[in-house]
Amino acid sequence: MNMYLHELKALRKSGGGWACAMIALAALFLSLYPSMVSDSADFTSLLEGYPASVRAMLGINLEYITSILGFYSMVFAYIALCGGIQAMHLGASILSKEARERTADFLLVKPVSRARIVSAKLLAALTVILVTDLVYFLVTAIIASAVATANYSLSMFFMLNLPLLFIQLIFLAVGLVASVFFSRLKNVLPLTLGVVFGLYMTGALLAAGSEGELARYLSPFQYFDSIYIIEHHTFELQYLIAGALIVAAAVSVCYRVYIKKDIHAV
Amino acid sequence: MSVIEMNHLTKQYGKSRGIKNINLSVEEGEIFGFIGPNGAGKSTAIRTLLGLIYPTSGSAAIFGRNCTEHPEIRKELGYLPSEVFYYDNMKVIDLLKYSASFYKKDCTKRIRELAEIMDLDLKKKIDDLSFGNKKKVGIVQGLLHEPKLIILDEPTSGLDPLMQQKFFDLLREENRKGATVFFSSHILSEVQKMCSRVAFIKEGEIIKLEKMSTLQENNYKRINIEGVSTISKEAFDISGVSRLEVNGTAASFIFKGNINTIMQRLSETELRNISIEEPDLEEIFMHYYVKED
Repeated sequence: MNMYLHELKALRKSGGGWACAMIALAALFLSLYPSMVSDSADFTSLLEGYPASVRAMLGINLEYITSILGFYSMVFAYIALCGGIQAMHLGASILSKEARERTADFLLVKPVSRARIVSAKLLAALTVILVTDLVYFLVTAIIASAVATANYSLSMFFMLNLPLLFIQLIFLAVGLVASVFFSRLKNVLPLTLGVVFGLYMTGALLAAGSEGELARYLSPFQYFDSIYIIEHHTFELQYLIAGALIVAAAVSVCYRVYIKKDIHAV
Repeated sequence: MSVIEMNHLTKQYGKSRGIKNINLSVEEGEIFGFIGPNGAGKSTAIRTLLGLIYPTSGSAAIFGRNCTEHPEIRKELGYLPSEVFYYDNMKVIDLLKYSASFYKKDCTKRIRELAEIMDLDLKKKIDDLSFGNKKKVGIVQGLLHEPKLIILDEPTSGLDPLMQQKFFDLLREENRKGATVFFSSHILSEVQKMCSRVAFIKEGEIIKLEKMSTLQENNYKRINIEGVSTISKEAFDISGVSRLEVNGTAASFIFKGNINTIMQRLSETELRNISIEEPDLEEIFMHYYVKED
């Protein structure tokens, strides 16, 4: 419990920062919605001028773009990207920072097992992500209600936002497992940005191409298709399972490797 | 039961660094010195003992238990790493309280006492502390839960002589109350002052394990003299003298044994200059190797 609280305290600032950034981004996009709706015919015809593949890459679906949920799903692609970066960064740094800031000699000789240290840190990271997402959801729901021109389903809005949490869990786990393989990870940011942007671009290109369903497994950003959620009121089960498997595998490897790892002197 | 036990402890990594087949046991109430030049494997042995690194073969235990299998045994352990780094954005007192929270007992009073002795400002941010002051945080951190075993890796580097003295007094006091102390150093005189037994380590192997009393009988001195006239080699070729080098009117050697013997011998020679120093460790190690050959 003491380790969990200590980690939370250390993470609360960056968590707050991420929540604010994501809210600001969503607010910026959503503030454009009323003007877009008033000129929806012009706007749609403008977008029609784009090649279909570009539209797919940007996550634009003409059928839904004028509804608040459809519009939001375009915005959501960027939110998911932000969330992915936050989670991966959190995962990659939370264990490796002890070695980087050379505090491992303090923490790892305390009378607690390494498994408990990993658990406490994992739990703290999860808490930060959950709180970030919750705050983000509540504030954007209020903004969406303010800008919506027609009634929309709040539960559907919630469904559309839930993938943020799923994507973050995947990247948190990926970040954790990536960090334990480095004896000393000097800088977390390049690793984080490389992996997240890499997968994001892969995802965007996959969406534009016609590689089919199998290729979507390559990028977690493609696991939760907003239009599918709007149309079917549910998630695509196979991708949900794929995500869960990635998380389970990454976390268990992380425990195994970290427990057996040599902690070298500075 | 031995407080510290290393059995055939071996850790190989890279090509050269590591430790080879270390056997050691430290009994309750001892102050044990672990001495060797930098890079000899002192830290590796300590880190393996603490469970920070895994041995390639052999085993290490404190209070009869292995630290990685029974991490809870470390509640009786206080450890001061050679270089101390702590969470920079914390205040000293917050760090110490965080440290105390692992031991399930109230350490507030002890923290105050130790801070008083070590002259440490608890309200400062760790970030703002000098190296020596960070070291003090490390000392308080290592002792605040009144551990039964205190392990220190190069404890005095960065402390001024006055603080070193206070620190050694503190360790003696803990030892008097029953704590076992195990510390590594590359400074012989430091170990000589404190320890009841000492192990010499070189290139990952223990080359000598001696009682301090034996070592003290065998006072090692490096003596350089400059005579008025040419010094004959035979004049100092007595038992206890090693690495004798004579060069005209100058001579240097290491003497081990009763100081009075050599003083008498020196007084028979007319001298222009003399210096008597603590030999550095390398020289003593060389001496051991010469003896073993």
